[in-house]
Amino acid sequence: MSSYPTTMPPTRPEISNRPDSDPRPRWAQIATSADHKSIASVLLVTAFGSLFLAALELLLLRIQLSVPENIFLNAVTFDRLLSVYGETAIFLFALPLCVGLLYYVVPLQIGSRGTALPRLGQIGMWLFLLGGIMLYAAFLFTPPEAGINPLPPLSELAFTPNNGVDVWISSTAMIVLGLLLISIDLLTTLRNMRAPGMAWRRAPIFTWAAAIVTWLMVVVAPIMLAALTMLMIDRRLGGAFFAGGSGGSPILWQHLSYIYFTAGYMTIAVTTLAAISEIVQSFTRRELPGRDAVIGSLVAIAVIGTLAWTQNMITAPLPSGWKYFAMLASISLIVPFGLIFYNLISTVASSDFHMRAPMRYAMGALSLASIGLAVEISQSTIAVGTQLQHTYDAWAATHFALIGFAIFGGLAAISYWYPKITGRMLNEERAKISFGVMFVGTLIALLPLFAAGVSGQVTDSYRFNAGEDVGIYNLIATFGTLILMVGIIMAVGNLIKSRTEGDVATPDPWRGNSLEWLTLSPPVEHNFDVLPDVRSTQPMRDIRDALARRDAEEGAPADEPQPVA
Amino acid sequence: MPRVPRKIVSLSIALAGFLIGIATISGPAMALSLNPDAGSAGIEKANTLHWILFVVIGIVIVVVNLAILRAARPRTRHTGTPAASKKGGQLKVGLGLGLVALAIFVTATVFSDQSRVVPTSTETVAGMTSDKRLEIEASGQQWLWRFDYPNGAFSYRRVVVPAGVTVALKLKSTDVIHTWNVPSLTGKADAVPGKTNWVYFRADDEGTHEGQSAILSGQGYSTMSIEVSVVSPERYETYVQAQSDEIQEAQNTVEGQNRAASETDEKVRKEAATNNTDTAKSSGDGQG
Repeated sequence: MSSYPTTMPPTRPEISNRPDSDPRPRWAQIATSADHKSIASVLLVTAFGSLFLAALELLLLRIQLSVPENIFLNAVTFDRLLSVYGETAIFLFALPLCVGLLYYVVPLQIGSRGTALPRLGQIGMWLFLLGGIMLYAAFLFTPPEAGINPLPPLSELAFTPNNGVDVWISSTAMIVLGLLLISIDLLTTLRNMRAPGMAWRRAPIFTWAAAIVTWLMVVVAPIMLAALTMLMIDRRLGGAFFAGGSGGSPILWQHLSYIYFTAGYMTIAVTTLAAISEIVQSFTRRELPGRDAVIGSLVAIAVIGTLAWTQNMITAPLPSGWKYFAMLASISLIVPFGLIFYNLISTVASSDFHMRAPMRYAMGALSLASIGLAVEISQSTIAVGTQLQHTYDAWAATHFALIGFAIFGGLAAISYWYPKITGRMLNEERAKISFGVMFVGTLIALLPLFAAGVSGQVTDSYRFNAGEDVGIYNLIATFGTLILMVGIIMAVGNLIKSRTEGDVATPDPWRGNSLEWLTLSPPVEHNFDVLPDVRSTQPMRDIRDALARRDAEEGAPADEPQPVA
Repeated sequence: MPRVPRKIVSLSIALAGFLIGIATISGPAMALSLNPDAGSAGIEKANTLHWILFVVIGIVIVVVNLAILRAARPRTRHTGTPAASKKGGQLKVGLGLGLVALAIFVTATVFSDQSRVVPTSTETVAGMTSDKRLEIEASGQQWLWRFDYPNGAFSYRRVVVPAGVTVALKLKSTDVIHTWNVPSLTGKADAVPGKTNWVYFRADDEGTHEGQSAILSGQGYSTMSIEVSVVSPERYETYVQAQSDEIQEAQNTVEGQNRAASETDEKVRKEAATNNTDTAKSSGDGQG
């Protein structure tokens, strides 16, 4: 008579030695697979490829801005690179990285054998890929040139008569729709396919983040899709939704698009903070003391942060009530962000842990994001915000937060789940060096821009004048961007190299306590042969305890689990 | 545990040294107020708020990053239970952060009222409205600003305003969105086609304030400069009068030229008509 639950498998039955019998070439498998792991891998690979492209574009923009009145790029080329950079960084790197991570890990974390609507995820992946291909195909004719957020009337046909903005609208719409479909699949999976006993109160923090992010996408993506459709109707079907002076309202576009952009920002923050929470819990061998507070804070960040979209419109002709509400909402974000930081840092500070790549990237993410988030406070107040918005101060604050969350947080998450995804360990030495280079590069690239912004240098302008006295800051920033670029190449190169050269990983290299560590590395296609019965927030600890108890009772040595057919 | 504590320590020291280096370079701009030559009361308030926030943000960044550095420092054994696991700790920290947020919000609100409280004029000039403001229309267009004064005069790129008079700047746009941006006088405000945005300011000292449009408006965006010249009310009136006269004169000249041109045209046309009739006649004759 054993003491562990009867539904608990006695060994590790998920281990399957079935050979991979699919005779088709690998690309055909990837193209036709509706498996959430395959789809998510495509998103993640695309995201890190796009990270390289975005860094390259940023470097070109910075080279143009390194000295006053530079002639490296002309105004049109600068505007085009800027527009493509914005879309690449947000829609091809940060958002698919977050959605891809959630889509890979969360079905494993909830003990599901797959997703509820797998073909929906597959359509989503294809829409996303086609959107990205379409954006870069635009370099064959005319790339978009109306800015990171192409505000009408500038993006109306009358002012940008070429096809660039049409490409922006179409590719953004495909990506937004693709990520929405994947989110709907994940949301349905979360509602219907949790393992027995996996109540919401026992769900891991990262799973909670998936619920938050997918709900957020379901709410905001249709708004963005509607706005994009309206802009397309304006441009090609004679509409006047956003056309100024002909009954349309340019402000309406700002509301609709900034709802999505702000929600995107919050998606990135919520996903990576949740991933960092998982990392901290695994490495310190502790559950976060304020688990409920952290989950509540993630919800608050998503909801309150998105509701504060008008903080981007602080200079627009809006009733002042809007602006005061946005100011109140964004300043109140101090509470949820502060609580999460407090829980993470105090847990790390009081624990013994090995400083491995995930932990290192996670600490870097918290450090850089703290700078960005703190400076965003001054952006959100009306008096200082009207001074600093559209300057490099705002640019640097946003980049600090997003580089912290998306690049460092994203790399933390990737290096944490890298053994699970690839079956190999990430090279520690290279990860450490790339971390150092990227961290220093980010600081050099962005800190001087605070000074440039406070001196009044405006963004999106392809040059600045010698009289503005911001030359030195821009030169240092360009230098820093170069270092950041080198660091990114090293980090991405490490991800590629470790795929083949890394040490072979065990199913559970970090002794994590959530269910994704129960299955093989990389997981079999159906994830689990036998579903465990979840009894607490840390099911893997329960399984290890049960195994240890069984071994103690039966006197058998605690060895590797036996494969079960 | 860690094999290379020394390396991490030296990295932290290098980082600290680097931060200090950057701070020294960017110090002048960061530490000085936002706009050292603030030209209006509203901007002075914004400068004060920026100072307060600068200190608050500085403290937040330093404290958080020192905590991260301390948490991530190399060490060899357990150091106890997390501070966050104390009973009621979450609530206390949450309330504390809430109080901080409230304090920042209240401070920001106190210093943010320049958009609602319109200053009153201390001087008077011709052309003021009944509530003692001088209404100037600024319309953004690709890629310059046009200023229309109450007496019909207008100017491009440079606007002249009287000192001590409340100026109500009526922002309009004729094509795309432009952002009015004169940091040392008014801050930013969007000129949106089909909408009117108002900026109120009163400059008390004479001088020149420079600015630049702050939102991407197309290829010529970087050339959209703005210059605000604050002059004495008398000089303002002279300037506007001279500008108006000059425009009137130019218009008269153009109209005179037009009249002369049209008279010549008419003469030519008449001649041509006569010729045509002649030709027609002759050809008609020929055919006939």
